Amino acid sequence: MFYVEILSMLLLVLGLVAVASNPAPYYAALGLVLAAAAGCCVLVGHGGSFLSLVLFMIYLGGMLVVFAYSAALAAEPYPESWFDLSVFSYVVVYILGLMVVGLCFFEGWYDGFWVVDELKEFSLLRGDFGGVALMYSLGGWVLVVCGWVLLLTLFVVLELTRGLARGALRAV
Amino acid sequence: MTPVHFSFSSAFTLGLMGLAFHRTHLLSALLCLEGMMLSLYIALSLWCLQLEATMFSAAPMLLLAFSACEASAGLALLVATARTHGTDHLQNLNLLQC
Repeated sequence: MFYVEILSMLLLVLGLVAVASNPAPYYAALGLVLAAAAGCCVLVGHGGSFLSLVLFMIYLGGMLVVFAYSAALAAEPYPESWFDLSVFSYVVVYILGLMVVGLCFFEGWYDGFWVVDELKEFSLLRGDFGGVALMYSLGGWVLVVCGWVLLLTLFVVLELTRGLARGALRAV
Repeated sequence: MTPVHFSFSSAFTLGLMGLAFHRTHLLSALLCLEGMMLSLYIALSLWCLQLEATMFSAAPMLLLAFSACEASAGLALLVATARTHGTDHLQNLNLLQC
């Protein structure tokens, strides 16, 4: 389990390297998918199965589909993958920088894994299940604010993409 | 510093560096922002998991909702840019002419 955790953390960082090294947006979306899946594995290993499920379904299933769809707007005849020279040099520079920073922190490095105790005093709920459910009772006003922000974002998107003649952004 | 702290903080820093340094496509910048939001989600989740502060675990949900707002506004700007300029290269937005 320990090695799976280390592997998923490594894949998380490598996925962000794949996003940050400026390839074509197709490949960057692929790297972000890799990072999100590895982040799910990290959260599962630390005992947050519900948070990991939300990350997998909402983030990976909802938002990244939209990103992959809008990668069609950035279409190129010859998209740069990570093995082109300009992208690969950034990959090498980022990985070397990560290794240097990791060696700087290597002295105070301790491998601790805290895991939420599953069967503490015959508890009925996992910690994150109950905590997220508290959003609907104690965090009621934050939920109202959140819904209001989402509604406002709907109108912002409608206003931005209304058309060329009217709306917030128009062709001069 | 545990390995997981190092991994999510370096993931955040990598997303920030990618956002700051590489500006070919607007969509690449938005993807770097999404990567930063992903690492923030993992960081908040790990905070409430490690400290067993289970009441705090609503905070990653709210962060995810707000990051969905940010992503939708950014993608709407991407669509509007593709309509007005024909492409999403940020080099085109640099000019004062259309």
